[in-house]
Amino acid sequence: MKKLILFELRKVFSKRLSLIALVGIFLFSALISFSAYQNKYASDGMNAEGSGKAAVEIDKNIATKYEGLLTDKKVQQMMNDFAPTHDLHGLNAVYLYQNATQSAVFSRFSDKDGKWNGLSVSDVFGDEKIKIGYVDGWLSTSRNMVRVFVALVLAVIVMLVPIFSSEYEGVDNIILTSKYGKSKCATAKVTAGILIAILTTTMIAVFNLLLACAFYGTEGLDCSILFASSDYVEAFIPFNITCGTLLKYQIMLAFTSTLSVTGITLFLSAISKNQIVAFVATMTIVFFPVLLPITEVNPLFRLVGLLPIYHVLAVSLLSVEQMSNGMLYAIWAIPAAFIFLGIGTFFSRRMFAKHQVI
Amino acid sequence: MKLQIIGLTKKFGSKTAVNDLNITLTNGVYGLLGANGAGKTTFMRLLCNIQTPTAGKILLNDRNIVALGEKYRNLLGYLPQHFGYYPDFSAYDFLLYVSALKGLDEKTARKKSKELLEAVDLSKEGKHKIKTFSGGMKRRLGIAQAMLNDPRILILDEPTAGLDPKERVRFRNLISAFSKERIVILSTHIVSDVEFIAEEIIMMKSGQIIHFGNPQEITSEINDKVWECTIPTAYAEKYAADYNTSNLRNINGNQTILRIIGERPPMENSVRVQPTLEDLYLFYFKEGVKNEKTNSF
Repeated sequence: MKKLILFELRKVFSKRLSLIALVGIFLFSALISFSAYQNKYASDGMNAEGSGKAAVEIDKNIATKYEGLLTDKKVQQMMNDFAPTHDLHGLNAVYLYQNATQSAVFSRFSDKDGKWNGLSVSDVFGDEKIKIGYVDGWLSTSRNMVRVFVALVLAVIVMLVPIFSSEYEGVDNIILTSKYGKSKCATAKVTAGILIAILTTTMIAVFNLLLACAFYGTEGLDCSILFASSDYVEAFIPFNITCGTLLKYQIMLAFTSTLSVTGITLFLSAISKNQIVAFVATMTIVFFPVLLPITEVNPLFRLVGLLPIYHVLAVSLLSVEQMSNGMLYAIWAIPAAFIFLGIGTFFSRRMFAKHQVI
Repeated sequence: MKLQIIGLTKKFGSKTAVNDLNITLTNGVYGLLGANGAGKTTFMRLLCNIQTPTAGKILLNDRNIVALGEKYRNLLGYLPQHFGYYPDFSAYDFLLYVSALKGLDEKTARKKSKELLEAVDLSKEGKHKIKTFSGGMKRRLGIAQAMLNDPRILILDEPTAGLDPKERVRFRNLISAFSKERIVILSTHIVSDVEFIAEEIIMMKSGQIIHFGNPQEITSEINDKVWECTIPTAYAEKYAADYNTSNLRNINGNQTILRIIGERPPMENSVRVQPTLEDLYLFYFKEGVKNEKTNSF
């Protein structure tokens, strides 16, 4: 069995398109991370200003100054420290951006002129304990990973589509008449598909985390995602989880997504007589649900959101509900993934073994 | 070993590809002859259990091959008429892969792969990628993979297609040496290949077996139907088109000997000759014959 699995892996990685997809996803990760890093801007409102590395340093220094639990006193201190020193020319101060911390406090506690809006921490966050610090790097990484994981799904489809369908171009004759052709071979194919999905997802997740550490350091993993700059305020997860928890959920959802997509791809690969048909069918089934006009407030989203494309889009699914045990609704993506994978692997093996050579 | 085919039928929609075949095969080499569309490939696929029959069954030593599953496939070697390959695999790696599928252990797989590459004259190209191979080389690789597990039942669909005469002779010798205590079934359009190595001939037409027996037995059916006649070369082409002609041989520049298959002598000077398997094949499968009357010069 081990030999057969190794041969299946070799078949996949000997295909030029698979290698292009794999290299492409790494390049895309690097490019998107570097681009986000380079586009960072920060000013301390006095003498320091810069972009890229300098901006990250400025943001970190400012965040360190206010590190710890968010209190009304800290809010007042920040409002004073970042009070506009020049005419805003009609700009609403809520949208003012000097640095990540200033933006975070102004977007919640400022009026349009940059003065305190009268809200306390408990008015904005209720009873939640909000730990603040340098979260901009991790949140930026999280946002990048949404795009990277969507591309990862595409890469997984490209790599897995030929697993069964390419055999129907003539090798099926030989495989299905060999001793293990209808049994272990099909199992080896399914196993190889799952291994490819898991390994690729692991490598991409690790690579993105390493890039994040290289660009932004490791600070802020235990800080709340809720006290973030205005870039992340809207359409972001409304629950008091830490950056570390967010990343854990997001990476878990990347795995559930690629495993679900593996199930779908293997199934369609086994029933399609050629690779193009299998690819188009898989792409349609995986990506079509994003076009559905169902938002996370719609009760139906609890079902639709468990489709694999919503796993990698993460934010919508993570925004559905925080359950009584503190877990997010997104945890249901795990059984959903097992269902997709189970159905896909069971039927793909069966379809391949029962395939009639014409 | 006994392979019984009982009432075997395969239909594709309204078309019947194999129609109620009943035959018992024991150890030996069987040549399967028939025109395109006669049902040979479908019959072979049914024997390999990669197509499900519409009706009927195949029994190996009285047990259904479907129920035997892995045990049956373990005895089977199959060379398909058309087969795919992995372009970036070397011939040797491809054989190792098929060996793994056939359940050979690592050591045996390496040994058998090398031996068979040698046997089909591909040992020098063993490490070359299959995408660099010619059609004939791929065919030889196909023959090698079919024999990896030392099969007791070897089914070869057009094994000599694309092989040059030297390779065809090599193949015939390989099969002859291999065939002891085995069932070997091979289909081909090259009648001479079958004539040389097959002990029994199965002739198929329209999905049915129209003849089954050794070459002498089945050619005896047209013992009085093969003629040779000498005509002026200028008329040779016209007569060859009008009659079921199996051969034209030019002699003395202006005379041609025609070998014609027909119920009656085609010319007054016709001489009856001993039929060959090729004559029999043409007798059944030649189409578009216009003339059956006797002419004179």
